[in-house]
Formats: sequence, C-alpha cells, structure tokens
Amino acid sequence: MNVLVLSGYGINCENETLHAFKVVGFKGKIVHINDLIQNPKQLNDYQVFAIPGGFSYGDDTGSGNAMAKKILTNLYDQLIDFSLKDKLIIGICNGCQILINLGLVPSLNKKDPEVAMIENKSGSYECRWVDVKVNNNKSPWLKNISILNLPVAHQEGQFMIPINLLKSIKANNLIGLQYINNHKKLAKGQFPFNPNGSKDDIAALTNQNGNVLAMMPHPERAFYHYHVPNWQNNTSKKFGDGYKIFMNAKKFFA
Amino acid sequence: MTNTIQILSIEKTGKESSLQKEHNNNSIKIIDGYFFSRNLDYQKFTKISKLISNDVSQTILTKKNVNKVLSSYCNFNWVVEIKFLPGVTDNIATTVKEIIKDNLKSSFKSFELGSTKIILIKGRKEDITKISKNEANPLIQTIKIYPFKQYLNKFKKNQFKIEKVKLPKKKYSKKEVNLDISDYHLSLIGKLGIEENDKSRRGTLGLDLESLKTIRNYFSTIKRKPTDVEIETLAQTWSEHCKHKIFSAKIDDIQEGIFKKYIKGATEKIIQLRKDNFCVSLFTDNAGGIEFNKDWIICHKVETHNTPSALDPFGGAITGIVGVNRDCLGFGKGAKPIANTYAYYLANPNKKYQLYRKKNKDPMLPANFIAKGIISGVRVGGNCSGIPTPQGNVYFDDRFAGKPLVFCGTVGIIPKKIKGKLSHKKKANPGDIILMTGGRVGKDGIHGATFSSEELDPNSPVSAVQIGDPITQKKMSDVIIRELRDENLYSSITDNGAGGLSSSIGEMAKESGGFIVNLEKVPLKYNGLYPWEIWVSESQERMTLAVPPANVKKVIKRFNARGVEATIIGKFIKKEKAIVKYNKTEILNLDMEFLHEGYPKLNLKTSFPKIKKEKKKIIKYSSLIDKLHKLLSSPNIVSKEFIATQYDHEVQATSIIKPLQGEGRVFGNATAIKPLFDDEKSIALSQAAYPQYAETNPYDMAGCSIDTAYKNLIVSGANSKKIAILDNFCWCSSDEPDRLYQLKEAAKACYDYAVAYQTPFISGKDSMFNDFKGFDKTGKSVKISIPPTLLISSIGVVDKISHLTKITPDDGDILLVLGNTLNELQDSVYYKIIGYEKSKNPVVNSKDALRTYRNFEKANKLEIINSAIGIDLGGIGIAVAKMAIASKKGLTIDLKLKNKISVDQFLFSESQSRILVSIKKNKLTNFKKVFKGSDYTIIGKCTGSDVVEFKDNKKIIRGKISDFAKSYKQNIKGL
Repeated sequence: MNVLVLSGYGINCENETLHAFKVVGFKGKIVHINDLIQNPKQLNDYQVFAIPGGFSYGDDTGSGNAMAKKILTNLYDQLIDFSLKDKLIIGICNGCQILINLGLVPSLNKKDPEVAMIENKSGSYECRWVDVKVNNNKSPWLKNISILNLPVAHQEGQFMIPINLLKSIKANNLIGLQYINNHKKLAKGQFPFNPNGSKDDIAALTNQNGNVLAMMPHPERAFYHYHVPNWQNNTSKKFGDGYKIFMNAKKFFA
Repeated sequence: MTNTIQILSIEKTGKESSLQKEHNNNSIKIIDGYFFSRNLDYQKFTKISKLISNDVSQTILTKKNVNKVLSSYCNFNWVVEIKFLPGVTDNIATTVKEIIKDNLKSSFKSFELGSTKIILIKGRKEDITKISKNEANPLIQTIKIYPFKQYLNKFKKNQFKIEKVKLPKKKYSKKEVNLDISDYHLSLIGKLGIEENDKSRRGTLGLDLESLKTIRNYFSTIKRKPTDVEIETLAQTWSEHCKHKIFSAKIDDIQEGIFKKYIKGATEKIIQLRKDNFCVSLFTDNAGGIEFNKDWIICHKVETHNTPSALDPFGGAITGIVGVNRDCLGFGKGAKPIANTYAYYLANPNKKYQLYRKKNKDPMLPANFIAKGIISGVRVGGNCSGIPTPQGNVYFDDRFAGKPLVFCGTVGIIPKKIKGKLSHKKKANPGDIILMTGGRVGKDGIHGATFSSEELDPNSPVSAVQIGDPITQKKMSDVIIRELRDENLYSSITDNGAGGLSSSIGEMAKESGGFIVNLEKVPLKYNGLYPWEIWVSESQERMTLAVPPANVKKVIKRFNARGVEATIIGKFIKKEKAIVKYNKTEILNLDMEFLHEGYPKLNLKTSFPKIKKEKKKIIKYSSLIDKLHKLLSSPNIVSKEFIATQYDHEVQATSIIKPLQGEGRVFGNATAIKPLFDDEKSIALSQAAYPQYAETNPYDMAGCSIDTAYKNLIVSGANSKKIAILDNFCWCSSDEPDRLYQLKEAAKACYDYAVAYQTPFISGKDSMFNDFKGFDKTGKSVKISIPPTLLISSIGVVDKISHLTKITPDDGDILLVLGNTLNELQDSVYYKIIGYEKSKNPVVNSKDALRTYRNFEKANKLEIINSAIGIDLGGIGIAVAKMAIASKKGLTIDLKLKNKISVDQFLFSESQSRILVSIKKNKLTNFKKVFKGSDYTIIGKCTGSDVVEFKDNKKIIRGKISDFAKSYKQNIKGL
C-alpha cells in the first residue's frame, strides 16, 4: 500500500498527513507537484493520492483555484484515470478546495466544477474543533464511522451548491460529513457548530464511487489522543477520531 | 478588446456582510478587479477570466453585461477603487501572472497586471469617504472615489489603468561624497541624507556628527573620498537597529555596557553555575538555541516591528512575522519554523486619538485600524506559511497611541548533527559563492524612498513599506530545509532583514574574511534602482547562502525546480575587505574591521527620574461580584479568543496545550507543542511584560516579567532546568538620562532574576526610541512615549506528556493558593479601573518564588496537582473566575482572612510568584508533605455547581459562572 502526498506552492500539511498514513500501515512519499508533472507515470506506483491542507498560492483568486488550474492543465487525465480505478483519493481542507475546483467531487455530470467553496459566513478565518457525522454515505473512507470530533482551520469552507445539484447529491448520498451541534443534531447553520455557514451543514462530499473524499476538517490533526482539546480528562485512548479515516483507507486495501 | 477583468461573487461574501454590518448599509458589493497593461482580445479575455474565477460562485463582468448584472443588486451611486501604489508588493497579481504563465504557456508574454478592490455602494458621499478610509491605507494604496456612472463609462472605454513604477532613467556614474565640509553641512548629511546632483536629499542616514567625523578620518587616512555606497553602508551597519549602540555603550560606571554586564553576563554566570549542555548557541546567531533532546536543538527568536506597523499595520505585522521566521531559517544551517508567537501593545481601539505627524496633516491611522491590521497581518503571515501560532497576548494602554508595539516570535527545530557535523556551526569559506535566493529587490524599506507615478501627488512622499509574500518564502523555506540542508550543500546561511544585502553579506563575511559583490547581478523587481539602493534595500523573502563552487549548479537547479529564484551575486574572500562593484566599477572598498567596529562608542549617563504619581479616584462598585465583572470585561483581561481562532494553531499537528483551555475556553497563559512524532517531549511557551508597572519601579517591573514568564512554564509542567528566556526591550527617549536610568535598573533586574532562577537569556533585541512627536487635532505639538516595556518570552521543555497540567478542577477538589499575597495593588488592573490609594507595587522575592516553584514541580511529577493556573493580572479573583469559566464548575472561596489584608487586597492584589491549584481531597496529606515550610493557603473547594461563591463569617455572595463567562467573553469595543 503506497500513498502519494502532494506538496508545493504553499501546501503545508504534508508531513503530518504522511505520518498518519504511515502509522496505520502505508508506505509513502511526499511528491512535489512539479516532480509529478515531470513524471506523471509514477502515479501507477500508488494506491492513494492525498492532497493535504495548506494555502496553495496563498488562496489568491479563490482557495484551491490556482493549484486546480495547474493540475487541470498538466495532470487532469492521469488523475481522472486514478479516480476510476480501485484506488482512493482524499483532499483535506485546501486539498478539499482543490478537488472541488477540479470537479473530481461530486463529479455528477463529469464536466466543469459544479460546486464552489466560498468564504466563511463569519468573514473570518476559523480554527476550531467541531463535531461531524456520517449520514448514509457508502464511501470506504467513512465506513463504520458515525461521529467524529475534528478541527477545522479555514477561511473558505462554505460549500456552495446549486439547488438542483444539491438534490442529486442527496439522492446519491454524496454528502460525506455534516456539522452537528452539542446535542448531536444537525447544526442547521448555527455558529460555531457549523463554523462556516455551509448549506445543509456540509463538511465533506464524495464522488459517486465514494473513493474520492473532499473534506474540510483535518483528520491528521486529530490523530493522537493528545491532539484532542482537554485530553487530560480522558487519557484512556491512544488515538483521536481522525485515526479512523486513515484506518479505513488501510482496511480498504487489506 | 478590454484591459480589465472584473469578477464578483453571486452570493453575499463574508467580507461584504461584515462591511454591511459595520456601516449599517445593505447596498455594498465588492468586485475583484485585475487591470492589465495590455489589451486582451476576446479569446484571451475568456481564457484568462476562466482561469481566475469560479463559474459556480462568481460572475465575470463584460461590457455587455455590466449594467444588467450590477443593477440586479441595487442602484449603486458611488464607487471606491483601491489599488496598490506602484512598487508595493501585490501578491494576488503575482499569483495571477503565474496562473497565466503556467496555463497559457507562451501565448501571452510581457504584460503588467495589478489587482484592485472595487467597492460599489449606494449611499451618501460622506459615508463613502468613511468606508474608504477604513478599507485602505494611503501609504500603500491609492483610493479613488467616483460616481457609479463614471465607473460604467470607464468600463466601456477601457479606462482602468495600472501604474507602473516609473523611475527616472538614469545612468549610474560613481558618486563621491565630499566630507571635508563644515560641521553644519556634515550634520546635514546625517540628518537629511546625501545630496543629489539636483540638490535634493536622499533621506536621513541617522548618523550623528561624531560618526561622520569618524568616517571622514578613516577616509583621510586612506587618502580618498568615500562613495555614496560606502556612506550608506556605514549608516546601515552602524545604525542603532544593527549595532545596538545603547546596549553596548559605557553607561555611568559600567564600562562594558549593560548588554555585556547584565544580559550576556547573566547567561555566562548561569552556564558557569550549571555545567550542563542546555545552552547550545547564544547571542551570536539569528536566534538562540537550546538542547531539546539528545538529537535535536530548538531555537527561539523574538523581533519587534513597531515603526512599520504604525505606518502600515498589516504590512508591518506580516513582514514582522515572516521576517522572524527567516531568523529561524537562518539559525545554524537552517532550523524549521515550528511555532509563532505574538504580543501586541496597542492603544485603546475604541478611542479616537486624532494625532498628526505634521501640523494638521499626515494623520496617524485610527487605533482600531492599527489593531485590526496588525492582527490580520500576523494571521496571513502565519497561516499561509503553515506555521502554527499558538502563543500570544494583547495589552491596551493609551500610551501606545503614537507607536504600537508588535512583537513577533518564532521557534525552530534542527537536528544536532547534519552529516556528522554540528548543525549550529556554520562558516562561509573563502571562495564560497554568495547566492541570493527568494524574492527580488525593489525600493522596499529604503529610507524616505519616493515613488513617482502619474497619479501621486508629487508632494506626498511615500516611504516604501513592504508587504510580505509568505508563499514565496514558504517555497524557498521548503527547498532549504528539505532539499539542501541535510545534504550539507551550503556552508553558511543568513537572512536578509534590516539593511538587506549590506548587512547579511557583511555579517557572513566575518566568517571568511571579506567579500566581493557584483551588484548588477542582483535580480530586480523593476529597473532604475541606484546601486546603493540595491545594496541596502529591505525587500522581503530573501536568504543569502554561502555555497562551495562545486555545489552551486545543483543548488540553483533545486531552487528553480520549485519555482524559486537563486542568483550568484559574488563570492566570499579571505582578505578582510568589503568590496562592492557595479558593472565592474568598484563602488565600495572598506576594511571589515572599520565596517563592523569603527563606529564611535557612546558614553551615557543616567539620572534618577522624577515619578509623577497620579492620584486615583476610588469608584464605588456595589458588590464584589460587580467588581469581578468589571475586571473580567476590561480589555486587558477579557478573552482573546477571537485572535486564537483566526490564528491556525493546529497546523503541523503539534498543538498539545492549546490557546483556549477547558470546555469553557479560557485564553491560557502558556501553550505547548509536541514537535516530534517519535518523542513525547514537548515545548512549552509563554511570555510576559508589565509596562503598567514600569514608571513606579523599573527594576521590579523587569523582575515581574521574568517571574511571570518563568512561572507560566513551571505551571504548564516544564522542567525547571530546561527553561530559557528572551529579552525584548522596547524603550522610549533613550537619549534622556532618566529613561536610561530606568533601562539600567530593568537590565540589572534581568541579571539578578535570571541568575537566581538559573534561566539563561538566549536571544534578545531592543528598540530604543518608541516615541511619537507630532501634533494633536488643535495643532498643538505633542510627544507620546510608550511606557518602558520589557517583553520576556520563555521557552521550556516538558519531559513527559503526563507532566502537562490543565486549568480545570474537578468536583470536590481543594483549592489552594501557593505563594504569599500582600497588599500590592499599585498599578494593578484593579488600581487602574477601581482605584486604590495606599498600596505598594508588586515585588518578586526570588527565594520564596523558587521554593514555591520547586515544590510545585515535585508535586506535579508526583501527580498531586490536579489543575493549576498562574495568578497574574487581576489577582486571585480573576484566576478563580477563569478556573470556573474554563471548567464550568462552581467554586466556593473562603474570605475569612488570617493576614492583615482586606478582601479586595486578597482578591485583586497582583503579588507575584503565586499559583492557584486544585488537588484531589485524598492528596492533601501528600501535598502538605511536599509543601512543608512553604507559603500556601487553602482558599476553598470545587463544588461542581453553577455558581462561584465567596463566604465570610457573615454572608455568602454568589455569582453565576455563565454570567462571568459572558463578561469575560465580551467583544473588545472597536475591534
């Protein structure tokens, strides 16, 4: 099992993302986007393609846009190919924004991007811990998960989805994660449970196969128990909730 | 054909809604504009628009649709167009250029482009002017306000324009400066700068008469006239900023100066006493380094960026933080930045100070604009660089109205050895190539530089302030840390900060002997810079490397492969000479010794200052609970959560003690990160400064700062033998004997307390003239000086995860105060807000303090301590309230006091070296054993109810935790 973790131009969560994959049993490498463009064939050596969080191109012209355009011009076909195989793709935070800008998720009509990521309703950057739940999504990334406690850290985390498309997304169960409140009910847009005002409290989307996951929260930052706020009150577990996402990737190939 | 692309969001953006809310006007829309220097044909317009916009969320304006699209929002009547002044870093434009280059390949070459913010408003002109003032800074941006109709017209007629930097075309010829002139004319050179051929002056050099005479003597002995570049270089190298002349001056009877005697002296004494390997690299490098574990070193550096932040708060703060990141990159062979710290000392953002730099013109920016700009500058700098920013604080006082203090710090980590060699040792060797990498050089930060452009009023001088470009720096940093350092491909590295190349190369050349630089090789942002400007420019995001010739090709190739420029600009030599050439003409040739040590040493005298004691009125608050609410909601105690949540403190997945603590999210005194995946050791960080104590007694003020910064780490669980501190002195009027007296006293306390605690200073910086001289709104001249401020930053190693403490007690816990509470309300928050007459200022008794700390450390390791919080501003009362808010658990406090102090003194005194702790009931016996002979008081217990109650013999007073939380989490007015 090999994971390729993308880097370059302001992506910045590659180390911790690779670490999380390695702990659950993957081998892998951080590969600079320019090296991948030079030699796209190396994708064949990998089963998981991960775009970690960060600030590619400083979010200029919209978060994820510039990097998505670079991939679109140079690597798009290879990536589509990858997504059509029995392989996994994950985009976390900035990676999520890149996948959405590429249209790899939800990818219902296989043409231009259908969803946009826009600025948080609060107008400010939000770094805070949230609870999210999985609702009937069949993605291998989310298997056997009900609720996760994870941090978000973004300026543009609001999923903007045209109404008709939202209907098909729901009909196809492509909503990956939704923000919930302290009573474990949907946040219904209420801040800070829903940190960005995302419609239908959407925190993650998948493609139809479920092998591509675009999520705003950071599982790699909730990997160990001591990552979780106030962990001193509960030291019995070794891992945080983010671990489950990486374990699912491992189980998919096991 | 068009020369603009303008994009707007279909739905209301977050920025639009906050703007609408702020101005109570729902008819505001923002357009992202891009102005091109060339016309785009239809095909290019479509292609580029598509590349830089989003179909789903945005609309692209065209000549055809503009009217219809915009009228669908409302009938706008005004437009505010905000553009960067020519030459100011425009990061968005850089990205757009890169996108175009990347995706359209060769089909669209050589064009200029500028990003613009266009705000459309329906409203009255007065309101529009107000809005524009809040959204732009005239020092770096142009603001144009015009009717909406004109906007439509401009759109149709392609009238949106960008201004390029237009520097007069000039041929450089070597310029010699005649110093054989009268003292009066000589001092003019120092004050106003070198005279140009047209009799204009370049701007102040900051050289005093004595320095200029020293330079004259030097050149008369070598029998030639100095060049302009030589004088500029000496001015940079000898500046207070670079040489810290006040700290190294003879002061009263202290021959060696206060830095050598008190700061460095303390560390040397401590090293002698400790005899361990904790201190690795001190004072000589860009940051100070200590041992983290057997394989790794951590370094820390804190810088100030006060003047730039007063002029351009966003730009000043972002360059402050990315600048100090480079100090880490320049530590040893290059440490990876792993945490940022911040501390802001600001004027009250809710007040209008109305200060002017010149009579009735050149106004200071409003206090809230400064505060907001600084907070966002560090946010963008830190977040975009992928460096967590967990630790910081903000303090407000009117005396910062003329000059905000912006402290930015970075912690870095580096393996002890790289390929078998000690990583903190570096040496540029003779023959090594000088490689400049990162951003390009422009007129940024050059004294009094004036840009000419069509639209600028020629009479309004623009001193060029820089805006950081964190992405360029991140790309460069990744190459250095990941792809070069561990292969030992370069022999030395340093950052280009103050003084630019003149300073970085000058410093590095001390390692080899000297240098030869060819300035025409330096890549420029635009043409037309004079050689001296290239040499001293402070353009950001650059590092200088010394690379053995055999590795140069490889190193450049690796930078280029990641989209980073790297250029050979000279070489290091053995001869102790500083030589600079421009197109083969030698324009600088100085002895290294003279360059670095030739400046005249100062001889300073101090005198005891007269203390003006202000009489405080006592305001009557009806009850204890009211007083608590008043203090909790005061700006210096109220939660700074709004900053913590906009600074990414989770990136790198190292955050282990977070800035917001407990379920009730209390803004903590200390934070911790765990930097390595395979070692459970973590790094605890804190900081403290007490400018409010300074005028009463600067010695005690410094003692309190050191004690608090040290204590916070002890409380967090750090190993007392692995705590180091950093000093940042921000002083005022440091040419006045009474201010120098305060400085000397504070420095003396630094020695005394650091030695007592055996916590070494590992790095520091000072900024000596934080004074504002200008005018008030009536035209009266005013001088506002900051209160002397000494920021002590502390960094410590926590050996085990289980040593990290929490601030939340559990039901049934016994509450205790460790340390002694005295009547020390002078200059406290209580004193400021409620008032109190007969009281003393807090004084640190290091013996008592150490006993408390050692016992605490022991008790914590024995798991006797269940929760703990350092007691500082607002005393026990506030610490108790914070514990209750954080845990959401009720506490009961016993006010039957045994000492001879009043209830208010007990609850609000700011006596130092105290810790509020909670222990489980069954640990009391063990606790007493450990704390035998040490001062502590049982003050109550944790009840788990929803109230905090205070009991004395007669009555019980209660306050609801949720109400306290509301006061504590109030918004700071004006922010």
